[in-house]
Amino acid sequence: MKKTESQATSRPGRQSPIGQFALTIAACIGTTLLATPLLGHLDLANIVMLFLLTVLLIAVTLGRNAAVLASILSVLLFDIFFVEPRFSLAVDNIQYLVTFAVMLATALITGQLAAGLKQGAQEARIREQRTQALYELARQLAGAPTLERVRELAGHFVEIQFAAHVAIILPTDQPENDVPTSPTGATVRVEPHLVRVALDSGQLVRSDAVSELGLASLYLPLRASLRSRGVLAVDFGYDPGYLEAETQSLLEALASLVAVAVERLDYVDITQRKELTIQSERLRSSILSALSHDLRTPLTALVGLADSLSLVKPPLPATALDTALAMHEQAARLAGLVDNLLDMARLNAGGVTLRREWQPLEEVIGASIKLLGSALASHPVRVSLPPDLPLIEFDAVLLERVFCNLLENAAKYAPEGTPIEIVASQSSDLVTVRVSDHGPGFPTAKRDELFNMFVRGETESGKLGTGLGLAICRTIIEAHGGRIDADKMPDGGGASVCFTLPKGLPPTVEEEKS
Amino acid sequence: MSAAAPKVLLIEDEKQIRRFVRAALEEEGCQVIEAETMAQGLIEAGSRKPDLLVLDLGLPDGNGVDLIRDLRGWSDVPILILSARSQENDKIDALDAGADDYLTKPFAVGELRARVRALLRRSYRNSEAATPVVEFGDVTVDLSRRLVSRGGETVHLTPLEYRLLATLLGHPGRVLTQRNLLREIWGPSYVESSHYLRVYVGHLRQKLEDDPTQPKHFLTETGVGYRFQP
Repeated sequence: MKKTESQATSRPGRQSPIGQFALTIAACIGTTLLATPLLGHLDLANIVMLFLLTVLLIAVTLGRNAAVLASILSVLLFDIFFVEPRFSLAVDNIQYLVTFAVMLATALITGQLAAGLKQGAQEARIREQRTQALYELARQLAGAPTLERVRELAGHFVEIQFAAHVAIILPTDQPENDVPTSPTGATVRVEPHLVRVALDSGQLVRSDAVSELGLASLYLPLRASLRSRGVLAVDFGYDPGYLEAETQSLLEALASLVAVAVERLDYVDITQRKELTIQSERLRSSILSALSHDLRTPLTALVGLADSLSLVKPPLPATALDTALAMHEQAARLAGLVDNLLDMARLNAGGVTLRREWQPLEEVIGASIKLLGSALASHPVRVSLPPDLPLIEFDAVLLERVFCNLLENAAKYAPEGTPIEIVASQSSDLVTVRVSDHGPGFPTAKRDELFNMFVRGETESGKLGTGLGLAICRTIIEAHGGRIDADKMPDGGGASVCFTLPKGLPPTVEEEKS
Repeated sequence: MSAAAPKVLLIEDEKQIRRFVRAALEEEGCQVIEAETMAQGLIEAGSRKPDLLVLDLGLPDGNGVDLIRDLRGWSDVPILILSARSQENDKIDALDAGADDYLTKPFAVGELRARVRALLRRSYRNSEAATPVVEFGDVTVDLSRRLVSRGGETVHLTPLEYRLLATLLGHPGRVLTQRNLLREIWGPSYVESSHYLRVYVGHLRQKLEDDPTQPKHFLTETGVGYRFQP
């Protein structure tokens, strides 16, 4: 406490206790010296008044402790130097004992009152000054454009009001020990556990033990409207001892001002980010659709022109016809490739936007089989779904891509004439779909990498592909909140890909009365 | 077919695409009018009165959907859309605006010819007296008597199922968007409740298709709507 006062610049007029006592003693002796020549001219009662005046002045200027000292000293000096016999404590006239008692009592009481008044006035001044400072801080924080500025303002405030250092720790900050404060460049070392406790409990946390290790000793949560936004750590640089209620409430006010500022900055940040996301999404989709148009237009012409060659009348010679057919095939394959690349670009550009609707799984399976058409000609597809399968919420266009890619893969690798199976099953919260074939299966070693981009099961095989299909499947399924895994059928069968979709709460369709 | 060759207006900005589409249409015995821009297309449509419009959605001077809206103000000519995949919204807008069918680029010439044939046939049939009996697969629907039978046995449909069936049968080969069907059968307040439509199409497939998981007549146009294929 004493050290606090000595350091606090906010309490002017307070010297060190030793200085105070020296000044008190000097003043009392001065009064004695001043009064001695007047001894013959003045009544002793009036000399008592001089001493009382001194005590009063000391109380007003030096405070309560000095006033008590001055009271006792005055009575002693009065006794020794003015009351007969002089230069001794002895008293001739017993009456003077009453004088002493009254003088002591009067001196003590006036001293106390004066010191109390002075202290009160001083405290009021400090309070006013702090309130003023708090207003000023609130005004500045309201306009603070960055977190750095908030830190700087809070640092200045604590520096001036408490001669202490402060650090603002946000949950997003790295859990490091040293958080520099900007105004002085001083470093505040914090105790991470105490920060966590303050953040989690939303209560002020204080530990004097850590201040001896040079760590900040006071941790105030930055309580905002929804949650604690961080922690304000105060390092007094010394043991603060007893924390005055006023100091604490001032720090709490500071913490809530900082919390509001941090929250405001956070909201500003969120708004700006959202705007940026919308803009970049718009840009991305316009680039992709321009790219898609530019790539597809020549492909469409190529596919169509090659196609129309084979329909020319009179028919072309057989070799030319074969060439036309091959051209058509290659162009169509290229178109599929472009589709996959554009899909991957769209999905990977971040933020897959799903157009989710509640729908039966069988519908999208049927549509996928229909879409692949002749590619599945030599592979009958057997679909087996539980009759009580509920509606599932998914993006039909994207899930159609998943089924098309899986079926295409199966048709590509499994021997002709072997069936492809699509089996669905359900648990309490998931629907699991398995697409399996009777081909050679995935190579075991690579099974985990299969869903990465540009990874192919059989690198050296003659089959064409980019290794994008399964990567697209994974992106789509994961965007739906599901999982996708590759497997080998247990009975020595072929490849099997298994994915899940969350069931959710399907809407009800009222049965009509028929 | 009527004596005169049907006139087809082809609005497409890419020359090579126009070339093979024209060839395919002429193979079908059509007379082809070409237009490169929307403005030109609109003028040709007004002055030449085509029997069919083949329209690319991505025209340089505007959105093809606006052209369809303009055109539908004064003409019922069938419209076939050419559009790229991943433009589901454009397709839906075009179909809602009054287009009849769409082809996704790149498309096979055979497919194009089949669609053109179907659209032309329909525009002729519309002028004839419509027959109340529709047959597809082993199913017979007598629209005048509201009777549905499959393989000679009567199939029982609920009123909503029957309305959905009748609506689909009324536009053979044509893609009907979800919104369209929902508005027509359930009413305007149901246009966002697509699961109703999906469940009822499922019912129709259960009752009328050989393999409901791989339908042949009630086809899904994923992300767009449904098509009845006789």
